Amino acid sequence: MSSWLDHTINGLIVGNVYALVAVGLALIFGVSRLINFAQGSIYLVGAYIGWIAVVHLHTPLPLTIVVVAVASAIVGLIIERFGLRPLQNSVRIAPLLATIGISFVLDQLVMLIFSPNPRALPSQLPDVRFQVGGGTIGPLDLLIAGVGLTSALLLFVFLRYTKLGWAVRATAQDRDAAMQMGVDVNRVNQAVFGIAAALGGVSGMLVGMYYNQIDTAMSLQATLKGVVAEVVGGAGNVPGAVIGSLLLGLVESYGVAVLGTSYRNLFAFLLLVVVLVLRPNGLFTSARQAPPEPLTGTFIAPSRPVNIPRWALWGATAGFAVLPLFPVSFYVLQTLINAWLLGMLGLSLTLVAGTMGQVSLGHAALLAIGAYTSALLSLTLDVPAGLAVIGGGLMSAALGTLLISPSFRLRGHYVSIATLAIGEIVALVILNWESVTRGPIGISGIPPLSLFGYDLISPTSVYWFSLAVMVVLALLQGRLLGSHLGRSFRAIRDDDIAARAYGLSLNRYKSLAFIFGGFAAGISGGIAAHLYSYINHETFNTQQSILALTVVILGGLGNVVGAIVGSVALVGLPEMFRIAAEYRILIYGIVLLLLVRFRPQGLLGTV
Amino acid sequence: MTSAPEALLALSDVNTFYGQAQVHFDLSINVARGHIVCLLGGNASGKSTTMKIILGLVKPRSGEVRFDGASLIGLSTPQIVRRGIASVPEARRLFADMSVRENILMGAFVRNDRDAVAQDLDRMLTLFPKLGQRLAQRAGSLSGGEQQMVAMARALMSRPRMIVMDEPTMGLSPLYVDRVLELIRAINQDGVSVFMVEQNASLALEIAHEAYVLQTGKIVLSGPARALKDDPRIRDAYLGGSEAA
Ligand SMILES: Nc1ncnc2c1ncn2[C@@H]1O[C@H](COP(=O)(O)OP(=O)(O)OP(=O)(O)O)[C@@H](O)[C@H]1O
Ligand SMILES: [Mg+2]
Repeated sequence: MSSWLDHTINGLIVGNVYALVAVGLALIFGVSRLINFAQGSIYLVGAYIGWIAVVHLHTPLPLTIVVVAVASAIVGLIIERFGLRPLQNSVRIAPLLATIGISFVLDQLVMLIFSPNPRALPSQLPDVRFQVGGGTIGPLDLLIAGVGLTSALLLFVFLRYTKLGWAVRATAQDRDAAMQMGVDVNRVNQAVFGIAAALGGVSGMLVGMYYNQIDTAMSLQATLKGVVAEVVGGAGNVPGAVIGSLLLGLVESYGVAVLGTSYRNLFAFLLLVVVLVLRPNGLFTSARQAPPEPLTGTFIAPSRPVNIPRWALWGATAGFAVLPLFPVSFYVLQTLINAWLLGMLGLSLTLVAGTMGQVSLGHAALLAIGAYTSALLSLTLDVPAGLAVIGGGLMSAALGTLLISPSFRLRGHYVSIATLAIGEIVALVILNWESVTRGPIGISGIPPLSLFGYDLISPTSVYWFSLAVMVVLALLQGRLLGSHLGRSFRAIRDDDIAARAYGLSLNRYKSLAFIFGGFAAGISGGIAAHLYSYINHETFNTQQSILALTVVILGGLGNVVGAIVGSVALVGLPEMFRIAAEYRILIYGIVLLLLVRFRPQGLLGTV
Repeated sequence: MTSAPEALLALSDVNTFYGQAQVHFDLSINVARGHIVCLLGGNASGKSTTMKIILGLVKPRSGEVRFDGASLIGLSTPQIVRRGIASVPEARRLFADMSVRENILMGAFVRNDRDAVAQDLDRMLTLFPKLGQRLAQRAGSLSGGEQQMVAMARALMSRPRMIVMDEPTMGLSPLYVDRVLELIRAINQDGVSVFMVEQNASLALEIAHEAYVLQTGKIVLSGPARALKDDPRIRDAYLGGSEAA
């Protein structure tokens, strides 16, 4: 049993590691108001570069640190130059989406090159521990503390005493005014991306050494923790990010000591949600910045939706409906069933993110709520599967809206962070609430779909069922968009201040959008549960949330038909070209990047 | 007005749009070397946008902007600043969390002659004596009038050939207004050309050599300040301008 001092030391060390990530995020946010979702990927890359250096090149530790810092910085510079700089004049959501795409590409590349299996990353330090008071401390702890302090000192000197450092601070406070002093904002962006990447990469390497293990799952975790620490400290506030990180490290360490490791991440996300709700600007308030100009220009690329005649839509629907009557393979039906399920999720997200402007990154949680509700209703209460699915939809609508409601007062990127955190919280509650969800074991033996007493077991019947459900949801959503309610949604998206001035209650409309969207997603999750017959806490993960986002951007944000076309394209095309599973996420990432850069309005245009 | 050969800054036939909305209609303005030129106009007439066009923060859809004979179209804001134009933006826009000293020195960002910059800082403290005791203070905590002084000192630090100012007297007490106008005149006598935007016509016309009146994006009146001072149309233009706003 380790002592409280041990937990404190551990918390501070882990906090130091988070700080290296969070400080970079804060620098980038300060200068360009962007949450860099690729920060964790650089951390991952840093860990693997460290691994190559240590295991293959046998570099001594100081050299390893330098190699990792420099190589990671180069990766950061490349991301800035080719991924983000071309988007300077795009809509505000574009750079955020680009960093998500970049992170998928980088993570998948690492996975393809090094395989998903974990690797050991030896620290080259002697394995001794010194007694300190009631606890112990090892050389690696000291190394991490030393790297943290040195980095903080160097950063302080840079920001305080160099010309480029002044430019960084000036840009963070007022970008336009800095430009009027002759500051080249591109160079400032380069500088912060280079620094952030160097710190992030070193952090990944240190964590790999700390646990003597690296694997590709590190990436998303690091991004999430870094974002939490940064937002807790006040987005864009560099010292705040350090304090937020140490606080997060301590909260986690003590929390784990009391409740166990599987709760570790829950504390992080609860801390985030509490801070976002009580103090959305963070504990130490965000760096102030004059509102960027131009103030107009919506969050979403404005465009004219492609007009598809009604008969063509009905024709296509009829075509898909009669498809199983022809000799098509089981495989094709299976693929299309997946597309219809993803289509329902897409409908949900395109309403919430496109029509309402709340770019959710946690939409998979709605699937999970629907799936678990439906599975448990039919297993424990013997509710017929057809009804249970509707129960899943209702639960997802109610619980999803309730969970998301604290974030209603947030705007822009903060909505994305909050939804991401809420999504993670749902997954963690599922993992830990064993008496109901059966925890990590998952739920097996979920009965197949049934309708009025008839089991839907054949692929054809499941195909028809899911197609019909999706078409009904799409029709309802089309109706909704044309109604007064739909116009109010769009008015709030385009200008929430003006909408409020017209007397629209934002909370009520956001709730309505999430209720409708939650229902569609819950239905999709419910059907999936009965189809798979086994689900666990990882069945519906962040990757699915991002896939759904790619789908709706591909189709055109807010576009009902677009969401379905996007699903068919993203599920169907990889199957058609028989692309191996491990390349798919890479392709989704690349699709997202290309869309953001070249066709932000999607295939069918935004509505 | 035809463009005089000695014009340091010349905007000709500039048309500017924000999305669909047109803000400038064939706007032409000349600033003669060594002069103070004032742009008058009511709210939303497009004055600040004119400043942004000059500084390259907003790009015109058509028209030409020339400074010292060379076109500024297509240059970035930092490049334009390096050509010798400094600015005192609307609402001053200091770097609120940086100290007064750092703010003033940020004005010399484009310069690399450290010793001369240090001398210029001392010169600023004689020109703006009140700032001497406030050098270490956060700029955001200064009063409006003090902030205006910092913004002007900051602009001068780049040793510009021309300063553009957006409503430098806005929100200041009468005492500070007089002081600011005095300083603008002094700066101008040191050889710096000044282009300033003002709403307060009578104040501006006291120090300007020439003035233009902008009304919903069109120049409706222009000429030597002396002549405009007594022009009844100045008042009419204002009434028209504020009605349109
Ligand atoms: N970034 C922008 N995007 C869209 N429209 C803008 C933008 N900036 C200004 N406008 C509009 O252009 C018009 C002219 O604005 P501008 O700021 O140039 O006026 P102004 O004469 O400086 O007004 P004021 O006296 O109030 O400062 C206004 O109608 C304004 O709403
Ligand atoms: Mg103005």
